[in-house]
Amino acid sequence: MSACPVSAASPAPRSNARRDWAKHAIILFFILIELFPLYMMFQVSFKDTTTFIRQPWLPTNPLNWHWENWTFALRLILPYIANTVLVAVTGTVCSLVFAIFGAYFFARYRMPFSRILWAAFLVLMLMPSVVNITPLFILLKSLKLVNTLWALIFVGIAAGQVFTIFVLRNFLEDLPRDLFEAAEMDGASHLQQVVNIVIPMSGSIIGTLGILAFLNMWNDFLLPLIVLRDKELFTLGVGLIYLDGEYVKQWGQIMAAYFVASIPLIVLFLFTMRLFVRGLSVGAIKG
Amino acid sequence: MALPITSKKAIREWKLYIFVLPSLLMVGTFAYFPAASAAYYSFFEWAGGDAKQLIGIENFRRAFSDQVLLDSFATVSVLIVFNLFKMIPSILLAVLIHRLRSDRWQYVYRVLLVVPMIVPGLVTLFIWKFFLDPNLGVLNGVLEFTGAKSVLVSLDHFFGWGVFFANVPIGWLSQPQLILPSLFLWGFPWIGAVGVLIFLAGLQSIGQDVYEAAELDGVGPFKKFLYIELPLILTQVRLSLVLLVIGTVGGYGLQLQLLNEYGGPDGRGMVPGLWMYNRAFYAGEFGYACAIGMILFVFILALTFVNNRYVRIDK
Repeated sequence: MSACPVSAASPAPRSNARRDWAKHAIILFFILIELFPLYMMFQVSFKDTTTFIRQPWLPTNPLNWHWENWTFALRLILPYIANTVLVAVTGTVCSLVFAIFGAYFFARYRMPFSRILWAAFLVLMLMPSVVNITPLFILLKSLKLVNTLWALIFVGIAAGQVFTIFVLRNFLEDLPRDLFEAAEMDGASHLQQVVNIVIPMSGSIIGTLGILAFLNMWNDFLLPLIVLRDKELFTLGVGLIYLDGEYVKQWGQIMAAYFVASIPLIVLFLFTMRLFVRGLSVGAIKG
Repeated sequence: MALPITSKKAIREWKLYIFVLPSLLMVGTFAYFPAASAAYYSFFEWAGGDAKQLIGIENFRRAFSDQVLLDSFATVSVLIVFNLFKMIPSILLAVLIHRLRSDRWQYVYRVLLVVPMIVPGLVTLFIWKFFLDPNLGVLNGVLEFTGAKSVLVSLDHFFGWGVFFANVPIGWLSQPQLILPSLFLWGFPWIGAVGVLIFLAGLQSIGQDVYEAAELDGVGPFKKFLYIELPLILTQVRLSLVLLVIGTVGGYGLQLQLLNEYGGPDGRGMVPGLWMYNRAFYAGEFGYACAIGMILFVFILALTFVNNRYVRIDK
């Protein structure tokens, strides 16, 4: 991050930083509004309907918190979370493994047909996924994958391939070539080169791409909505949609459910904050 | 760059093709095949079962005289304009954060920006639906509290919109005339964490000497933005523009969840993607839905082409 020139030029940057208060105020104003939904979600989740209607804005005394909203939410949402974790983790891991090998293929040698294959991959980036949803459903139906979590995993893997391979290929091509040549001299197979060179050298970019893939699958609700039928298989997306559709709304319970649904990402965020921030910038640039 | 390889060596290295096979299979099955079959099915009248009938370009002829579809393209054009406008706060916020003198605060704000992303997208959507609720929602609460509602009511009296009334809660998602304004308000203050982060990445390339020279010449903060910062993030702005247009034209999850499968009251929030979804999964007209999908695909392709042609992205 390059700091502004004034702080570098002046002998006392600390006193200069104080002159930024107006900027801080504006930034904080925006960020507070952005965080407002989180606040509402948290404080409403401890209220029953009457308290909520009487006082929707301010949190109530923690002694009067309605924890039963949370037990309700946990019982309702945990199975959905389990399904979503299963789909997102399996999908992300497979997607990354496939993409690492795919990227290695494109980055290592200019093999016959690799240009055509590459072009075919890139065309997919232009293709909006909406167009696919109808025939995709028909395909899944004929593969007998409707109402299974496999459908979500397979489609998730396929959807992430192009972008992940695209970024990884660029990264691998910048790795020093000597490494691979030395390994080849020592008789390492391509598989060994992937395991011993590619994966250790590109750990952080793989982590970043993994987070992006995970987020995409975690947030998807359009596909689960048309694919899943049985309540036992519901992922978060469908589960929350059905919760929203209930006729009589218990806002406290609903907000608690929303909060529980966010917990896995909060945990992920706490452990991988740096990758998260970086991953989002990379993802957005390469789109 | 990948090393060039002689064909002799390539034959010896045939095993490398196995490396690309899994992803090729996945992409082929779940991305290429559906796309190709969409083109095929769009010429059929087909309810998704075994019986389907070849009807040539009838689906397309129907699409071009389908008033709902035509209106939905008008709606989506309005949404594109809205979304272009909604890019501005992210750009401004990125510039503000970049101009902070303390690196540590810059980092703190970047992290704080990402924090709302831990809420699943769907939950954000539902919370907004709750904000727009006529009786309990935050928006009506704020309007009532600040007295802005009485201003709206008197404006309504003056212009005769017939939308805002003194003692009736405003039905943001149930009044046909308010659907587009609600879609505009949605997501206020329109800070996209991802957008801000890319703009910040672009701003990082501004050297200190540029600012120093500007300072010496007495350039004000607004001109600094116009002549130094904006040109440097133009690449990112254009890129997010392209992504945004494609996303808006193809997107329908927001409309489906915020309104319903008919685009809300009077279908004011109907977009082409949603109509396609509606035809396929509510009316069972799979052939027609595929035809709408193909029209959308061509439309997006044309937009991408225009973007590439006239909005150059310099790498």
